[in-house]
Amino acid sequence: MPMNLFKCDATIPEREKHCYIKAPGEDTTQFLPASNVNTIPGTLSERGCSYCGAKLVIGGVLKDTIQMIHGPVGCAYDTWHTKRYPSDNGHFQLKYVWSTGIREKHVVFGAEKLLKKVVHEAFDQMPEIKRMIIYTTCTTALIGDDPKAVAEQVMQERPGTDIFVVECPGFAGVSQSKGHHVLNIGWINQKVGTLEPEIKSKYTVNFIGDYNIQGDTFMVEKYLKRMGIQILAHFTGNATYDELRTMHRAQLSVVNCARSAGYIANELKKQYGIPRLDIDSWGFNYMAEGLRKVGAFFGLEKEAEAVIAEETALWKPELDWYKERLKGKKMCIWTGGPRLWHWTRAVEDDLGVEVVAMSSKFGHQEDFEKVIARGRVGTVYIDDANELEFFEVIDMMKPDIIFTGPRVGELVKKLHIPYINGHAYHNGPYMGFEGFVNMARDMYNAIYSPLWKLAGEDIRGAAKPAVIRLEGEEAV
Amino acid sequence: MKERVEELVTHIQERCLWQFFSRSWDREENIEAILSKTADVLAGEAPSTETQADRCWAADAKILASDFRSQHPWLKDAGKQEIRDVIDGVKARMREIAVEKSKNGELHVTNY
Repeated sequence: MPMNLFKCDATIPEREKHCYIKAPGEDTTQFLPASNVNTIPGTLSERGCSYCGAKLVIGGVLKDTIQMIHGPVGCAYDTWHTKRYPSDNGHFQLKYVWSTGIREKHVVFGAEKLLKKVVHEAFDQMPEIKRMIIYTTCTTALIGDDPKAVAEQVMQERPGTDIFVVECPGFAGVSQSKGHHVLNIGWINQKVGTLEPEIKSKYTVNFIGDYNIQGDTFMVEKYLKRMGIQILAHFTGNATYDELRTMHRAQLSVVNCARSAGYIANELKKQYGIPRLDIDSWGFNYMAEGLRKVGAFFGLEKEAEAVIAEETALWKPELDWYKERLKGKKMCIWTGGPRLWHWTRAVEDDLGVEVVAMSSKFGHQEDFEKVIARGRVGTVYIDDANELEFFEVIDMMKPDIIFTGPRVGELVKKLHIPYINGHAYHNGPYMGFEGFVNMARDMYNAIYSPLWKLAGEDIRGAAKPAVIRLEGEEAV
Repeated sequence: MKERVEELVTHIQERCLWQFFSRSWDREENIEAILSKTADVLAGEAPSTETQADRCWAADAKILASDFRSQHPWLKDAGKQEIRDVIDGVKARMREIAVEKSKNGELHVTNY
């Protein structure tokens, strides 16, 4: 039964194409879930919108750039502070939110004048900031505003400023993945190559597809710096607008999240001949392998081994302590897409944890090829899972811990199952050697916390059953 | 021979991201270049590193060859021709899985 129709999907049988359970001897030439296609009406999708993919995931990370959201205030507010990516610029990008805050009258009469006024106002309020990204949203796209024309006018009126426009309203694609795509292609075509970098090392890279979640970027940068490598552009963790304009000068693109940023790595290869090296940055084994590959590219093998040895000596004893206590635990990964394939072998190889179910919100078939190739037999693989499917999977697989986002996380917590924020982490960073120990520690703390059991007890009376329980499970 | 090919293919499937690049031409290029260079390394020869792309493929190949040697001990006793024959079989199987029989509908989209 390779493709699986959950009981809860009896009325939306189209969902069968999106759910796969791996059987022995099977590979992706036989079965591959449908993905990156329209959500089926009637399913309670957990996806985000395309604008969100551009702003929240990629553009909003920049530490020196005004993020002007041209739309209703909710589009700005809902993509602010829901991902924790710090910076060494006083966390500028987390402190502020900008919006044109359009209203009904602008829908009727147009909002370009308002946009121009607000853009000037933002630059006036923050005179030290000279860079801006303007995003269209569903409303301003539908009324036909031309933010590129406005941006051109403002740049002429304010010499020294530079504005990038992302025209990717929420409805542009089936999920946030479209926003990644639009921003990537827009940036390479409009901004890369418009500024020359200061080269400080013989060895230069772009590090692509890492967004400094709770300091991930700082981990990776530390290792590469110790190897003598200069990161010209970090796309986009802790990055400046201008460093991303210099990506054309790197000797190598090192890619972590191929889903959100593979496009720009591919274009850098096509347009500038910069080779693309994909690595995994989570997990001891993987991080070491990634550094070895980068070292091999530059002839810095000894430097890579030195970093690996130092970090292993520092963190391996702690990792082993957690491994002893996490071995054999069952885990679900219900996140965006790439973390499924980055993490499934990492937690298995380094911590002995078995990943029993994985769900992707916006992964493409490429991501499912990766995760099914790496994942276990008997594991459930789902595209764009809905709430009821999650409940059914919990019932089937009885996981010890679930990594997912805060929305699904609330459901999970109500079932008294340990939950960890798989997008923004609990106590990260999770990348690199130190990061993976943090991840193991969060897993240990979650699984062994007495809170989950205590939360299920009804304190009103001695023999009263817990109110919430899984379908089919008997009351205790 | 077939068993040895499958053993190495399973290893690649579980470890290597280069087989899953976005488009068919990228995958074909990676499979051919990285596995050819892996065969060079396993045969005790230096892989060519003339271009930036060569250096990148060689980096992947060196790590893969090292893993192959440590996890598939029979490779140590294999002759050069045997290594190249096995790797040719691996290339064919990887092309089959990742390109020819892949169900990934985006593989042949013209643009990235």
